[in-house]
Amino acid sequence: MSFQLSCPNCGKRAVGEFAFRSEVLERPSQDDDFRKWAEYVYLRRNHRGKQLEWWYHRGGCQSWFLVERDTVNNTDHCSFWYKDLQQVLATEKEG
Amino acid sequence: MARRIQAHRYLTLPERGREISFKYNGKTLTGYETDTIASALMAEEVKITSRSFKYHRPRGQFDAEGHGPEVLVTVDDEPNLWADLIPLRDGMEVKSQNTWPSPEFDIAAVNQVTVPMLPNGFYYKMFHKPKWVWPLAEAQIRKVAGLGKIDIKGRHNKRRYEKRYRFPDVCVIGGGPAGLGAALAALEEGKQVLLIENRAELGGHSLFDLSPVSGSPVSELNGQPAYQAVQTLIEELADSPNLEVMVNTTVFALYEDNLVAAQCGSDMFKIRAESVVLCPGATDRLLVFENNDLPGVISARAVERSIARHGVLPDEDAVVVTTHDGGYHTAMMLHGAGAKVMAVVDSRTGNTPGHFENQAREAGIEIHKGHTVHRARGGRFVTGMDVGSPTGSDTTRSFNCDLLVLAVGFKPTLNLLSMGRKTPVWNIERGILQVNELPEHIYSAGEVHGNASFGRLLEEGSTAGKAAAQGAANPATSRTAEEIIAALPADIECGGKNHFICKCMDVTRNEAQASIGEGYDQVESLKRYTSMGMGPCQGKSCHEAIARLAAIDTGLSPEEAMPTTMRPPFMPTTFGILAGRAPHLGPIRRTAMHHAHIDRNVKFLDAGQWKRPEYYTTPEEEVKHVRTKIGMIDVSTLGKIELSGPDALDFLHFLLPGKFRKLAVGKTRYSMMIAEDGILFEDGTLSHVSEGRYYLSTTTGNQDAIMSMMMWWLTVEPRDVQVKNLSGANAAINVTGSGTREFLQPLTDVDLSNEAFPYMACREGSIAGVPVVMFRIGFTGELGYEIHYPAEYGESLWNHLLEEGKSQDVKPFGVETQRILRLEKGHLIPGTDTDALSNPYEAGVGFTIKDDKPDFLGKAFLKDFKDRGIKNRLVPYVLDKGVVIPEDGVAVIEQGKAVGRVTSSRTSPTLEQGIGLVWLPDGMAKTNQRFTIRNRKGVDTNAIVIDHASYDPHGERLKS
Repeated sequence: MSFQLSCPNCGKRAVGEFAFRSEVLERPSQDDDFRKWAEYVYLRRNHRGKQLEWWYHRGGCQSWFLVERDTVNNTDHCSFWYKDLQQVLATEKEG
Repeated sequence: MARRIQAHRYLTLPERGREISFKYNGKTLTGYETDTIASALMAEEVKITSRSFKYHRPRGQFDAEGHGPEVLVTVDDEPNLWADLIPLRDGMEVKSQNTWPSPEFDIAAVNQVTVPMLPNGFYYKMFHKPKWVWPLAEAQIRKVAGLGKIDIKGRHNKRRYEKRYRFPDVCVIGGGPAGLGAALAALEEGKQVLLIENRAELGGHSLFDLSPVSGSPVSELNGQPAYQAVQTLIEELADSPNLEVMVNTTVFALYEDNLVAAQCGSDMFKIRAESVVLCPGATDRLLVFENNDLPGVISARAVERSIARHGVLPDEDAVVVTTHDGGYHTAMMLHGAGAKVMAVVDSRTGNTPGHFENQAREAGIEIHKGHTVHRARGGRFVTGMDVGSPTGSDTTRSFNCDLLVLAVGFKPTLNLLSMGRKTPVWNIERGILQVNELPEHIYSAGEVHGNASFGRLLEEGSTAGKAAAQGAANPATSRTAEEIIAALPADIECGGKNHFICKCMDVTRNEAQASIGEGYDQVESLKRYTSMGMGPCQGKSCHEAIARLAAIDTGLSPEEAMPTTMRPPFMPTTFGILAGRAPHLGPIRRTAMHHAHIDRNVKFLDAGQWKRPEYYTTPEEEVKHVRTKIGMIDVSTLGKIELSGPDALDFLHFLLPGKFRKLAVGKTRYSMMIAEDGILFEDGTLSHVSEGRYYLSTTTGNQDAIMSMMMWWLTVEPRDVQVKNLSGANAAINVTGSGTREFLQPLTDVDLSNEAFPYMACREGSIAGVPVVMFRIGFTGELGYEIHYPAEYGESLWNHLLEEGKSQDVKPFGVETQRILRLEKGHLIPGTDTDALSNPYEAGVGFTIKDDKPDFLGKAFLKDFKDRGIKNRLVPYVLDKGVVIPEDGVAVIEQGKAVGRVTSSRTSPTLEQGIGLVWLPDGMAKTNQRFTIRNRKGVDTNAIVIDHASYDPHGERLKS
């Protein structure tokens, strides 16, 4: 991995400055079945193609943001704040 | 005889520079400052530079490109360096490799006689049964087969390795005509350009190209010989303020997003460029025929470079074997240097004579058309050769030459273009392997797309450089009919042996054919079975020959017989280069009291990035001191996070498993941190310092992870909370021991009496005018106060306390001492006594969990753990007095099976016996249960589970 990511605050930086958390997951509620919790904690889709991910600018501004990354070629990223997620999803639907 | 020439009939020789002396295998030799090690050795008549890997055959210089294994040497104790790339330096100590006692007389060369052919898999087939033979055999084989020896005491190990960074707009790799053209064009577009060349000088092969320039985009160069034109170009570049030139620098890898990795001496450059232009050029093809590995068989460009750049004529009587006009160019180069060119052997018939063929005719050089080399003759080096028809059928002539020059076309250096991502394809028209499609923002130009004249290469580079500067598409390349060098006629099938395909691993064509017969008939499997292309050159010399010959011998079409994948690194790279100077180049963090610790002869311990005092005298002495008097420890490395704001308490309720609504101002509570998977990963204390202001302390190692976790939750579920990371801003000292109250009271305005400031409380105040927060907690098991205060007073308050404490014998202690003290109290350390499977109920800290809260981190899994019940427990134990203390991490054995694990094991200086913490099955984890620990040497020790802490089991000392 040697690609670059764009931090919404700091701009394009080497991926080594960032920490990856996981693909974006929905946290179950406490009323949900335990099976759902186990899947939330342990299972990942490992999608081949574009996926939404959490990244943290550990070696920089220390903010969390979302990246849509193509896991096939690691290029063609799009970074944005979590608060803009709904807006981004809506735009994508229209597009 | 090789010799230095003073003049050349067809070109002006460059200045040689100063004469310098160096050592080769202990002998003092001389050379010039413009020499490489290889050219100096050549001038000094060192014909045999090494012995081959398996058969110890004599080998000499072949292509002068830093590709072949023949010229690997040890320089100043550093092994495996390419003599043909390294500039000669004064006093250099050069040694040959894989030879004993010397390359000229090598004892292991009997391998050629006693084992006439070591077939593929020979060693393994020979020694694999019985099984115990192989390790013995391998040790012997390794002694005679191999490369340079690593000398761990060598001078090069004292070298400092650095990482350096560059961010050019355009990075041009390769300083030949195409690279120079690309750099010039990108500069004209106003870009910052970095030009990298792996030799000591720019110019590439045009430095020894006698052809007159035509069709150059820089018109004043037309008509000049290329070797002069290129100097004009280089001079033109020299004044560009936007250009950086790096010579003697090898690009060894090209990664995603244009990360270029290059090595220059002991520095590694990480270059991130907007665009990369690859102009790596091409090198002479290897022709496979009998004895093609003998010293004296040499590539055309090696001869030309040696004469034109170093003024060294490799030998007197030469025959040039060729398939294109370039062979006549080499012949003229030799002729002009005063060599006797006995013949040019040209496999073509009926071609229109080129520029240099005509010159060679005029010079009266003998030319044999429709002929090629059949075999080289000679024992230790070439003494003659046989030539005949290109089909290999009839040998018609012999020459008694000592130099056999191969000018049979060029193979593009595709490694950087391919780099495991793009597969080369066979371009039938141009007769070369080619990589056409490149990732975005990577461009390529020059000989890597086939042979062309200087002017055309310059123009191609210039077009690519312009496209790179503009971010345009990669321009297509073309070659004219005159430029194209036909693919070789079938390699020579005239019997005999020692047709070497891979000189690194000593693999011949006979062996390859035998392996194909055994069923390894695909290039990839053939490579793996024979180990062709897996030596030091990593296929740079032979990958084309492997693919070409595999196609012929397996009946595959050339398109199907693709060479194996070319991956980084392009050149072998040392661990020093990759590792850099400090471990991971990470910062070293020191506490504010660091120098005060040094003054007391501390032994430091690495805790993550931190340097922490391990102990000052001995841990035993320090433990006894804390138990009987007063000790203090620097705990500044603890994580310290302050939370405030309307939602702070609500946030803490979600993050931590406990309930804190009743945690009054001035109170402190011990808490676990549980991850979403229910595993305990951290412990610390939470204090309610002032109304709505909470102070969370964490362990040294987890502070960053906890900060980032808090920030994540506040991103996903925004709350009105202010989180302040005070870990670096505050220093901290724990003062502990039964006399601590009497010691500290006169120094502070805080009332320290047990009534006013009880156990598990916190107070704000000051000591010596420094604002402090004090926490009465007891990790050590004694009365203790943890003092947090601004780090700028870190050292002065530390020294002040030690000074004031002299009369009470207050002494510092270290982390190892603290570990023993807490183990005497049976306190666990997360990550030491627990791991990624440790559930908090089993670890015995279930009391910190209040699971009747609606939602908090790990709730769902904690419920599941509770439902499943307890299977193992973490409990304290003691050993009998006087027995050997087992190591941390050893197993508990029950009826021959490992059923548990010791996590911490120490001698308690207080109790004078072994103590520790152990994970045991629930049934065994009962007070007074005896069990067996097996240490690393296999010796068993009896231990006994105890109820509470081995020291002060009811915490009376702590609370008084």
